[in-house]
Amino acid sequence: MKLELGYINIKDIVFGSESKISHGVLTVNKNAVKDLVLEDELIADVSFDVAKPGESVRITPVKDVIEPRVKVEGKGGVFPGWLSGVETVGSGKTYCLKGMAVVTAGKIVGFQEGIIDMSGIGAKYTPFSTLNNFVVVCSPVKNVKQHDYEKAVRIAGFKVASYLAKLSRELTPDSTEIYETCGIKEGIEKYPNLPRVAYVQMLQSQGLLHDTYVYGVDAKKTLSTIMCPTEVMDGAIVSGNCVSACDKNPTYVHMNNPVIHDLFAEHGKTLNFVCHIITNENVYLADKQRSSDWTAKMCRLLDLDGIILSQEGFGNPDADLIMNCKKIEAEGVKTVIITDEYAGRDGKSQSLADSDPAADAVVTAGNANELIKLPAMDKVIGTLDFVNSIAGGGENSLQEDGSIEIEIQAITGATNEAGFGYLSAR
Amino acid sequence: MVKEIERTGIPVVQMCTVTPISMTVGANRIVPTIAIPHPLGDPNKSKKAEKELRRGLVEKAIKALETEVEVQTIFED
Repeated sequence: MKLELGYINIKDIVFGSESKISHGVLTVNKNAVKDLVLEDELIADVSFDVAKPGESVRITPVKDVIEPRVKVEGKGGVFPGWLSGVETVGSGKTYCLKGMAVVTAGKIVGFQEGIIDMSGIGAKYTPFSTLNNFVVVCSPVKNVKQHDYEKAVRIAGFKVASYLAKLSRELTPDSTEIYETCGIKEGIEKYPNLPRVAYVQMLQSQGLLHDTYVYGVDAKKTLSTIMCPTEVMDGAIVSGNCVSACDKNPTYVHMNNPVIHDLFAEHGKTLNFVCHIITNENVYLADKQRSSDWTAKMCRLLDLDGIILSQEGFGNPDADLIMNCKKIEAEGVKTVIITDEYAGRDGKSQSLADSDPAADAVVTAGNANELIKLPAMDKVIGTLDFVNSIAGGGENSLQEDGSIEIEIQAITGATNEAGFGYLSAR
Repeated sequence: MVKEIERTGIPVVQMCTVTPISMTVGANRIVPTIAIPHPLGDPNKSKKAEKELRRGLVEKAIKALETEVEVQTIFED
Protein backbone atom coordinates (compact mmCIF):
# COMPACT_ATOMS: atom_id res chain seq x y z
CA MET A 1 0.00 0.00 0.00
CA LYS A 2 1.29 3.46 -0.91
CA LEU A 3 0.34 6.74 0.76
CA GLU A 4 1.53 10.19 -0.22
CA LEU A 5 1.42 12.81 2.51
CA GLY A 6 1.32 16.44 1.35
CA TYR A 7 2.50 18.86 4.03
CA ILE A 8 0.95 22.33 4.18
CA ASN A 9 2.96 24.42 6.62
CA ILE A 10 0.87 26.59 8.93
CA LYS A 11 2.88 29.52 10.30
CA ASP A 12 0.07 31.39 12.01
CA ILE A 13 -3.59 31.08 12.98
CA VAL A 14 -5.91 34.12 13.11
CA PHE A 15 -9.66 34.66 13.40
CA GLY A 16 -11.52 36.32 10.52
CA SER A 17 -14.76 36.45 8.57
CA GLU A 18 -13.83 33.76 6.07
CA SER A 19 -12.10 30.45 6.85
CA LYS A 20 -9.14 29.98 4.51
CA ILE A 21 -5.46 29.14 4.25
CA SER A 22 -3.31 31.66 2.43
CA HIS A 23 0.52 31.91 2.40
CA GLY A 24 0.76 29.65 5.46
CA VAL A 25 -1.75 31.65 7.50
CA LEU A 26 -4.88 29.82 8.64
CA THR A 27 -7.84 32.14 9.08
CA VAL A 28 -10.78 30.68 11.03
CA ASN A 29 -14.35 31.91 11.07
CA LYS A 30 -15.29 31.40 14.71
CA ASN A 31 -19.01 31.10 14.03
CA ALA A 32 -18.50 28.32 11.49
CA VAL A 33 -16.54 26.12 13.90
CA LYS A 34 -18.87 27.04 16.75
CA ASP A 35 -21.90 25.83 14.77
CA LEU A 36 -20.04 22.62 14.00
CA VAL A 37 -19.22 21.87 17.65
CA LEU A 38 -22.67 22.82 18.92
CA GLU A 39 -24.29 20.30 16.56
CA ASP A 40 -23.83 17.92 19.50
CA GLU A 41 -26.59 18.59 21.99
CA LEU A 42 -24.40 17.47 24.92
CA ILE A 43 -22.09 20.46 24.41
CA ALA A 44 -23.67 23.57 25.97
CA ASP A 45 -21.05 26.06 24.93
CA VAL A 46 -17.66 26.28 23.25
CA SER A 47 -14.94 28.90 22.97
CA PHE A 48 -11.85 29.01 20.78
CA ASP A 49 -8.40 30.37 21.31
CA VAL A 50 -4.99 30.21 19.70
CA ALA A 51 -1.78 29.40 21.60
CA LYS A 52 1.50 30.01 19.80
CA PRO A 53 5.02 28.76 20.58
CA GLY A 54 6.89 31.01 23.03
CA GLU A 55 3.79 32.72 24.40
CA SER A 56 3.18 32.92 28.14
CA VAL A 57 0.18 30.60 27.85
CA ARG A 58 -0.91 27.48 29.73
CA ILE A 59 -3.57 25.16 28.28
CA THR A 60 -5.30 22.87 30.80
CA PRO A 61 -7.05 20.47 31.28
CA VAL A 62 -6.01 19.11 27.87
CA LYS A 63 -8.06 16.20 26.57
CA ASP A 64 -6.74 15.40 23.08
CA VAL A 65 -4.37 16.81 20.45
CA ILE A 66 -5.20 16.25 16.78
CA GLU A 67 -3.44 17.02 13.49
CA PRO A 68 -5.81 18.29 10.78
CA ARG A 69 -5.68 15.99 7.73
CA VAL A 70 -7.84 15.49 4.66
CA LYS A 71 -7.94 12.75 2.04
CA VAL A 72 -7.53 14.27 -1.42
CA GLU A 73 -7.08 11.10 -3.48
CA GLY A 74 -7.84 7.42 -2.95
CA LYS A 75 -10.10 5.27 -0.81
CA GLY A 76 -11.89 6.30 2.35
CA GLY A 77 -11.55 9.38 4.50
CA VAL A 78 -9.63 10.59 7.55
CA PHE A 79 -10.93 9.28 10.91
CA PRO A 80 -12.71 6.20 9.53
CA GLY A 81 -15.53 5.01 11.75
CA TRP A 82 -16.18 8.54 12.98
CA LEU A 83 -16.48 11.03 10.14
CA SER A 84 -16.22 9.02 6.96
CA GLY A 85 -17.48 5.45 6.77
CA VAL A 86 -15.20 2.51 7.51
CA GLU A 87 -13.46 1.94 4.19
CA THR A 88 -9.80 0.93 4.61
CA VAL A 89 -7.53 3.98 4.61
CA GLY A 90 -3.76 4.35 4.21
CA SER A 91 -3.46 4.65 0.43
CA GLY A 92 -3.75 7.48 -2.09
CA LYS A 93 -2.99 11.04 -1.08
CA THR A 94 -3.60 12.93 2.17
CA TYR A 95 -2.90 16.57 3.02
CA CYS A 96 -1.69 17.44 6.52
CA LEU A 97 -1.63 20.86 8.19
CA LYS A 98 1.87 20.81 9.69
CA GLY A 99 3.06 23.06 12.49
CA MET A 100 -0.37 23.20 14.08
CA ALA A 101 -2.82 21.11 16.06
CA VAL A 102 -6.38 21.16 17.30
CA VAL A 103 -6.33 20.83 21.09
CA THR A 104 -9.51 19.92 22.95
CA ALA A 105 -9.68 21.21 26.50
CA GLY A 106 -12.13 21.54 29.37
CA LYS A 107 -13.14 19.23 32.19
CA ILE A 108 -14.01 15.61 31.33
CA VAL A 109 -13.32 13.64 34.47
CA GLY A 110 -11.12 16.19 36.21
CA PHE A 111 -8.32 13.90 37.35
CA GLN A 112 -6.36 12.75 34.35
CA GLU A 113 -6.26 15.47 31.76
CA GLY A 114 -3.01 17.30 31.12
CA ILE A 115 -1.11 20.57 30.88
CA ILE A 116 0.55 22.17 27.83
CA ASP A 117 2.78 25.20 28.54
CA MET A 118 3.77 27.22 25.47
CA SER A 119 6.91 28.68 27.11
CA GLY A 120 9.16 28.21 30.15
CA ILE A 121 10.52 24.92 31.45
CA GLY A 122 7.19 23.12 30.94
CA ALA A 123 7.35 23.79 27.20
CA LYS A 124 10.53 21.69 27.07
CA TYR A 125 8.60 18.67 28.38
CA THR A 126 5.59 18.70 26.08
CA PRO A 127 6.10 18.02 22.38
CA PHE A 128 3.03 20.15 21.61
CA SER A 129 4.55 23.49 22.71
CA THR A 130 6.21 23.92 19.32
CA LEU A 131 2.90 23.95 17.45
CA ASN A 132 0.37 26.69 16.75
CA ASN A 133 -2.48 25.26 18.78
CA PHE A 134 -6.11 25.92 17.90
CA VAL A 135 -7.77 25.27 21.25
CA VAL A 136 -11.39 24.14 21.53
CA VAL A 137 -12.72 24.62 25.07
CA CYS A 138 -16.05 22.88 25.56
CA SER A 139 -18.49 22.96 28.43
CA PRO A 140 -21.19 20.32 28.83
CA VAL A 141 -24.93 20.56 29.37
CA LYS A 142 -26.08 19.83 32.94
CA ASN A 143 -26.24 16.24 34.25
CA VAL A 144 -24.32 14.75 31.34
CA LYS A 145 -22.64 11.40 31.96
CA GLN A 146 -18.84 11.63 31.79
CA HIS A 147 -18.45 8.93 29.14
CA ASP A 148 -21.10 10.52 26.90
CA TYR A 149 -19.42 13.88 27.25
CA GLU A 150 -15.96 12.40 26.55
CA LYS A 151 -17.32 11.05 23.26
CA ALA A 152 -18.93 14.39 22.38
CA VAL A 153 -15.68 16.30 22.96
CA ARG A 154 -13.65 13.65 21.15
CA ILE A 155 -15.82 13.90 18.04
CA ALA A 156 -15.93 17.71 18.26
CA GLY A 157 -12.13 17.70 18.00
CA PHE A 158 -12.20 15.48 14.90
CA LYS A 159 -14.86 17.64 13.27
CA VAL A 160 -12.95 20.86 13.83
CA ALA A 161 -9.69 19.27 12.61
CA SER A 162 -11.42 17.92 9.53
CA TYR A 163 -13.10 21.29 8.79
CA LEU A 164 -9.72 23.08 8.96
CA ALA A 165 -7.93 20.44 6.89
CA LYS A 166 -10.50 20.66 4.11
CA LEU A 167 -9.48 24.30 3.57
CA SER A 168 -6.22 22.95 2.12
CA ARG A 169 -7.81 20.78 -0.56
CA GLU A 170 -6.99 23.02 -3.51
CA LEU A 171 -3.54 24.06 -2.29
CA THR A 172 -0.15 22.79 -3.43
CA PRO A 173 1.75 21.15 -0.55
CA ASP A 174 5.02 22.74 0.64
CA SER A 175 6.57 19.27 0.64
CA THR A 176 5.56 15.64 0.19
CA GLU A 177 6.57 12.27 1.62
CA ILE A 178 5.76 8.85 0.23
CA TYR A 179 5.28 5.83 2.47
CA GLU A 180 5.04 2.42 0.87
CA THR A 181 5.02 -1.14 2.19
CA CYS A 182 5.08 -4.39 0.28
CA GLY A 183 3.12 -7.62 0.50
CA ILE A 184 4.73 -10.53 2.40
CA LYS A 185 6.04 -12.35 -0.70
CA GLU A 186 7.12 -9.16 -2.43
CA GLY A 187 9.07 -8.07 0.68
CA ILE A 188 10.94 -11.38 0.91
CA GLU A 189 11.88 -11.25 -2.78
CA LYS A 190 12.86 -7.59 -2.71
CA TYR A 191 14.87 -7.64 0.52
CA PRO A 192 16.08 -11.25 0.94
CA ASN A 193 18.95 -10.28 3.24
CA LEU A 194 17.29 -7.70 5.44
CA PRO A 195 15.82 -8.57 8.86
CA ARG A 196 12.02 -8.70 8.93
CA VAL A 197 10.81 -6.23 11.53
CA ALA A 198 7.34 -5.21 12.73
CA TYR A 199 5.98 -2.67 15.18
CA VAL A 200 3.77 -4.11 17.93
CA GLN A 201 1.71 -1.35 19.50
CA MET A 202 -0.21 -1.81 22.72
CA LEU A 203 -3.36 0.32 22.79
CA GLN A 204 -4.76 1.64 26.06
CA SER A 205 -8.07 -0.19 26.58
CA GLN A 206 -8.64 -0.46 30.33
CA GLY A 207 -12.12 1.04 30.01
CA LEU A 208 -13.71 3.64 32.30
CA LEU A 209 -12.52 6.47 29.99
CA HIS A 210 -9.20 4.70 29.31
CA ASP A 211 -10.03 3.78 25.73
CA THR A 212 -8.70 3.78 22.18
CA TYR A 213 -10.68 3.24 18.99
CA VAL A 214 -9.69 1.47 15.76
CA TYR A 215 -11.90 2.35 12.77
CA GLY A 216 -14.53 3.31 15.34
CA VAL A 217 -14.27 -0.01 17.21
CA ASP A 218 -13.52 0.06 20.94
CA ALA A 219 -10.05 -1.54 21.23
CA LYS A 220 -11.00 -3.53 24.34
CA LYS A 221 -13.44 -5.49 22.17
CA THR A 222 -10.82 -6.37 19.56
CA LEU A 223 -8.40 -9.25 19.08
CA SER A 224 -4.79 -8.45 18.26
CA THR A 225 -4.58 -7.78 14.55
CA ILE A 226 -2.41 -6.63 11.66
CA MET A 227 -2.52 -3.23 9.99
CA CYS A 228 -0.69 -1.61 7.14
CA PRO A 229 1.56 1.02 8.80
CA THR A 230 0.11 3.83 6.66
CA GLU A 231 -3.44 3.36 8.00
CA VAL A 232 -2.77 5.32 11.20
CA MET A 233 -1.56 8.26 9.09
CA ASP A 234 -5.20 8.64 8.00
CA GLY A 235 -6.54 8.56 11.55
CA ALA A 236 -7.41 4.85 11.73
CA ILE A 237 -6.59 4.84 15.45
CA VAL A 238 -7.87 7.62 17.70
CA SER A 239 -7.57 8.39 21.38
CA GLY A 240 -10.48 8.34 23.80
CA ASN A 241 -8.15 8.45 26.76
CA CYS A 242 -8.36 10.35 29.98
CA VAL A 243 -5.36 8.49 31.40
CA SER A 244 -2.23 10.13 32.76
CA ALA A 245 -1.30 12.90 30.35
CA CYS A 246 2.41 12.10 30.12
CA ASP A 247 2.17 8.63 28.60
CA LYS A 248 -1.12 8.39 26.76
CA ASN A 249 -1.05 8.62 22.99
CA PRO A 250 -3.11 11.60 21.87
CA THR A 251 -4.59 11.17 18.39
CA TYR A 252 -1.77 13.40 17.06
CA VAL A 253 0.77 10.76 18.18
CA HIS A 254 -1.16 7.96 16.47
CA MET A 255 -1.17 9.98 13.22
CA ASN A 256 2.55 10.83 13.53
CA ASN A 257 3.75 7.70 15.34
CA PRO A 258 7.56 8.07 15.55
CA VAL A 259 8.18 4.31 15.66
CA ILE A 260 6.36 3.91 12.34
CA HIS A 261 8.11 6.90 10.77
CA ASP A 262 11.56 5.74 11.93
CA LEU A 263 10.94 2.18 10.71
CA PHE A 264 9.89 3.58 7.33
CA ALA A 265 13.14 5.61 7.25
CA GLU A 266 15.11 2.35 7.57
CA HIS A 267 12.79 0.30 5.33
CA GLY A 268 14.73 -1.26 2.46
CA LYS A 269 18.05 -0.03 3.89
CA THR A 270 18.76 -1.80 7.18
CA LEU A 271 15.47 -3.68 7.62
CA ASN A 272 12.26 -4.81 5.96
CA PHE A 273 9.34 -3.08 7.75
CA VAL A 274 6.75 -5.83 7.46
CA CYS A 275 3.68 -4.50 9.25
CA HIS A 276 2.05 -2.83 12.23
CA ILE A 277 0.52 -5.20 14.79
CA ILE A 278 -1.95 -3.78 17.31
CA THR A 279 -2.99 -5.33 20.61
CA ASN A 280 -4.87 -4.11 23.68
CA GLU A 281 -4.46 -3.67 27.46
CA ASN A 282 -7.62 -5.04 29.07
CA VAL A 283 -8.42 -5.48 32.75
CA TYR A 284 -9.33 -9.18 32.72
CA LEU A 285 -6.46 -11.69 33.00
CA ALA A 286 -7.93 -13.93 30.28
CA ASP A 287 -7.93 -10.95 27.89
CA LYS A 288 -4.30 -10.21 28.70
CA GLN A 289 -3.39 -13.86 28.11
CA ARG A 290 -5.36 -14.14 24.86
CA SER A 291 -4.12 -10.84 23.40
CA SER A 292 -0.46 -11.53 24.15
CA ASP A 293 -0.80 -15.11 22.83
CA TRP A 294 -2.16 -13.65 19.60
CA THR A 295 0.63 -11.09 19.14
CA ALA A 296 3.22 -13.83 19.65
CA LYS A 297 1.37 -16.12 17.24
CA MET A 298 1.29 -13.40 14.55
CA CYS A 299 4.99 -12.59 15.00
CA ARG A 300 5.72 -16.29 14.40
CA LEU A 301 3.35 -16.63 11.41
CA LEU A 302 4.93 -13.57 9.79
CA ASP A 303 8.42 -15.08 10.29
CA LEU A 304 9.65 -11.90 11.90
CA ASP A 305 13.24 -11.47 13.07
CA GLY A 306 12.54 -8.64 15.45
CA ILE A 307 9.89 -6.28 16.74
CA ILE A 308 9.61 -2.97 18.55
CA LEU A 309 6.95 -3.07 21.27
CA SER A 310 5.46 0.13 22.71
CA GLN A 311 3.26 0.42 25.78
CA GLU A 312 0.59 3.01 26.56
CA GLY A 313 -0.07 4.07 30.12
CA PHE A 314 1.35 2.29 33.16
CA GLY A 315 0.47 0.05 36.10
CA ASN A 316 -1.35 -3.14 35.11
CA PRO A 317 -0.44 -2.63 31.39
CA ASP A 318 3.10 -3.41 32.61
CA ALA A 319 1.79 -7.00 32.91
CA ASP A 320 0.62 -6.95 29.25
CA LEU A 321 3.99 -5.50 28.26
CA ILE A 322 5.96 -8.27 29.94
CA MET A 323 3.58 -11.00 28.72
CA ASN A 324 3.96 -9.75 25.13
CA CYS A 325 7.74 -9.48 25.45
CA LYS A 326 8.15 -12.92 27.05
CA LYS A 327 5.91 -14.74 24.56
CA ILE A 328 7.30 -13.00 21.46
CA GLU A 329 10.90 -13.64 22.57
CA ALA A 330 9.94 -17.28 23.20
CA GLU A 331 9.00 -17.50 19.49
CA GLY A 332 12.58 -16.54 18.65
CA VAL A 333 11.70 -12.97 17.69
CA LYS A 334 14.02 -10.33 19.16
CA THR A 335 12.05 -7.76 21.10
CA VAL A 336 12.82 -4.20 22.18
CA ILE A 337 10.30 -2.57 24.51
CA ILE A 338 9.56 1.13 24.90
CA THR A 339 8.01 2.06 28.24
CA ASP A 340 8.27 4.74 30.91
CA GLU A 341 8.87 4.58 34.64
CA TYR A 342 7.04 5.35 37.86
CA ALA A 343 10.10 5.11 40.05
CA GLY A 344 9.04 7.60 42.73
CA ARG A 345 10.05 11.24 43.01
CA ASP A 346 13.60 10.23 43.96
CA GLY A 347 13.76 7.62 41.15
CA LYS A 348 14.67 4.86 43.62
CA SER A 349 11.52 2.71 43.48
CA GLN A 350 10.80 -0.20 41.16
CA SER A 351 10.10 1.27 37.71
CA LEU A 352 7.60 -1.28 36.38
CA ALA A 353 4.97 -3.45 38.08
CA ASP A 354 6.32 -6.57 36.38
CA SER A 355 9.60 -7.74 34.88
CA ASP A 356 11.23 -10.74 33.22
CA PRO A 357 14.74 -11.68 32.02
CA ALA A 358 13.34 -11.78 28.44
CA ALA A 359 12.95 -7.99 28.64
CA ASP A 360 16.67 -7.46 28.07
CA ALA A 361 16.36 -4.55 25.64
CA VAL A 362 14.38 -1.66 27.11
CA VAL A 363 14.07 1.97 26.09
CA THR A 364 12.67 4.27 28.78
CA ALA A 365 10.82 7.49 28.05
CA GLY A 366 11.60 8.84 31.52
CA ASN A 367 10.42 8.86 35.13
CA ALA A 368 6.86 10.23 35.26
CA ASN A 369 7.09 10.89 39.01
CA GLU A 370 9.83 13.49 38.60
CA LEU A 371 8.79 16.76 40.19
CA ILE A 372 8.87 20.01 38.25
CA LYS A 373 8.09 23.65 39.07
CA LEU A 374 6.16 25.35 36.30
CA PRO A 375 6.23 29.16 36.43
CA ALA A 376 2.99 31.17 36.33
CA MET A 377 1.77 32.06 32.85
CA ASP A 378 0.16 35.37 31.80
CA LYS A 379 -2.80 33.57 30.28
CA VAL A 380 -4.63 30.31 30.96
CA ILE A 381 -6.77 28.68 28.25
CA GLY A 382 -9.26 26.41 30.03
CA THR A 383 -9.10 26.48 33.81
CA LEU A 384 -6.64 25.89 36.68
CA ASP A 385 -9.47 24.41 38.79
CA PHE A 386 -8.24 20.84 38.36
CA VAL A 387 -4.46 21.29 38.65
CA ASN A 388 -4.40 19.87 42.20
CA SER A 389 -6.48 16.84 41.27
CA ILE A 390 -5.03 15.74 37.93
CA ALA A 391 -2.71 12.72 38.04
CA GLY A 392 0.72 13.96 39.10
CA GLY A 393 -0.76 16.81 41.15
CA GLY A 394 -1.35 17.10 44.88
CA GLU A 395 -3.33 19.33 47.21
CA ASN A 396 -0.58 21.97 47.23
CA SER A 397 0.45 21.84 43.56
CA LEU A 398 -1.10 25.15 42.56
CA GLN A 399 0.70 28.03 44.31
CA GLU A 400 -0.84 31.43 45.06
CA ASP A 401 1.24 33.16 42.39
CA GLY A 402 -0.10 30.78 39.70
CA SER A 403 3.03 28.64 39.54
CA ILE A 404 2.60 24.88 39.80
CA GLU A 405 4.71 22.22 41.53
CA ILE A 406 3.73 18.96 39.94
CA GLU A 407 5.01 15.60 38.65
CA ILE A 408 5.81 15.58 34.92
CA GLN A 409 3.06 12.94 34.75
CA ALA A 410 0.63 15.87 34.37
CA ILE A 411 2.34 17.28 31.28
CA THR A 412 0.80 16.11 28.01
CA GLY A 413 3.27 13.85 26.17
CA ALA A 414 6.17 14.28 28.65
CA THR A 415 7.07 10.56 28.80
CA ASN A 416 5.30 9.36 25.66
CA GLU A 417 6.00 5.66 25.13
CA ALA A 418 5.95 5.85 21.36
CA GLY A 419 8.99 8.08 21.81
CA PHE A 420 7.18 11.26 20.86
CA GLY A 421 8.51 13.20 23.87
CA TYR A 422 11.64 15.30 24.32
CA LEU A 423 13.26 13.63 27.34
CA SER A 424 16.71 12.29 26.64
CA ALA A 425 19.76 11.15 28.57
CA ARG A 426 21.98 13.06 26.19
CA MET B 1 3.53 -6.62 51.91
CA VAL B 2 2.82 -10.31 51.29
CA LYS B 3 6.48 -11.19 51.74
CA GLU B 4 6.97 -9.03 54.83
CA ILE B 5 3.95 -10.55 56.61
CA GLU B 6 5.03 -14.08 55.69
CA ARG B 7 8.51 -13.31 57.03
CA THR B 8 6.94 -13.01 60.51
CA GLY B 9 5.55 -16.54 60.17
CA ILE B 10 1.96 -15.72 59.20
CA PRO B 11 0.85 -17.34 55.91
CA VAL B 12 -0.76 -15.01 53.36
CA VAL B 13 -3.12 -15.59 50.43
CA GLN B 14 -2.88 -12.92 47.77
CA MET B 15 -6.17 -12.42 45.91
CA CYS B 16 -5.55 -10.58 42.67
CA THR B 17 -6.46 -10.37 39.00
CA VAL B 18 -3.03 -10.15 37.39
CA THR B 19 -1.53 -13.35 38.75
CA PRO B 20 1.69 -13.10 36.66
CA ILE B 21 2.68 -10.04 38.73
CA SER B 22 1.98 -12.00 41.95
CA MET B 23 4.30 -14.71 40.64
CA THR B 24 7.00 -12.16 39.81
CA VAL B 25 6.86 -10.53 43.25
CA GLY B 26 6.99 -13.92 44.96
CA ALA B 27 3.58 -14.55 46.55
CA ASN B 28 3.22 -18.21 47.61
CA ARG B 29 -0.58 -18.65 47.67
CA ILE B 30 -2.42 -16.83 44.88
CA VAL B 31 -6.19 -16.78 44.25
CA PRO B 32 -7.19 -15.29 40.89
CA THR B 33 -9.99 -12.70 41.04
CA ILE B 34 -12.45 -11.17 38.57
CA ALA B 35 -11.06 -7.95 37.03
CA ILE B 36 -8.74 -5.09 37.98
CA PRO B 37 -11.49 -2.48 38.59
CA HIS B 38 -13.59 -4.99 40.55
CA PRO B 39 -11.41 -7.85 41.89
CA LEU B 40 -13.95 -9.32 44.31
CA GLY B 41 -17.20 -8.63 42.49
CA ASP B 42 -18.84 -8.54 39.09
CA PRO B 43 -21.28 -5.69 38.34
CA ASN B 44 -22.57 -7.65 35.31
CA LYS B 45 -24.13 -10.28 37.57
CA SER B 46 -27.35 -10.07 39.60
CA LYS B 47 -26.91 -9.19 43.27
CA LYS B 48 -27.68 -12.76 44.29
CA ALA B 49 -25.21 -14.27 41.81
CA GLU B 50 -22.58 -11.72 42.79
CA LYS B 51 -22.98 -12.58 46.48
CA GLU B 52 -22.42 -16.26 45.65
CA LEU B 53 -19.38 -15.34 43.58
CA ARG B 54 -17.92 -13.29 46.43
CA ARG B 55 -18.55 -15.99 49.00
CA GLY B 56 -16.96 -18.56 46.68
CA LEU B 57 -13.83 -16.44 46.31
CA VAL B 58 -13.46 -15.92 50.06
CA GLU B 59 -13.99 -19.63 50.74
CA LYS B 60 -11.39 -20.47 48.10
CA ALA B 61 -8.95 -18.08 49.79
CA ILE B 62 -9.55 -19.63 53.20
CA LYS B 63 -8.99 -23.09 51.74
CA ALA B 64 -5.76 -21.87 50.15
CA LEU B 65 -4.65 -20.55 53.52
CA GLU B 66 -5.07 -24.02 55.01
CA THR B 67 -3.21 -25.74 52.17
CA GLU B 68 0.47 -26.62 52.55
CA VAL B 69 2.47 -25.47 49.50
CA GLU B 70 6.00 -26.38 48.40
CA VAL B 71 6.19 -23.93 45.47
CA GLN B 72 4.35 -20.77 44.42
CA THR B 73 0.78 -21.94 43.75
CA ILE B 74 -2.14 -20.40 41.88
CA PHE B 75 -5.42 -21.86 43.20
CA GLU B 76 -7.42 -22.04 39.97
CA ASP B 77 -10.36 -24.11 41.25
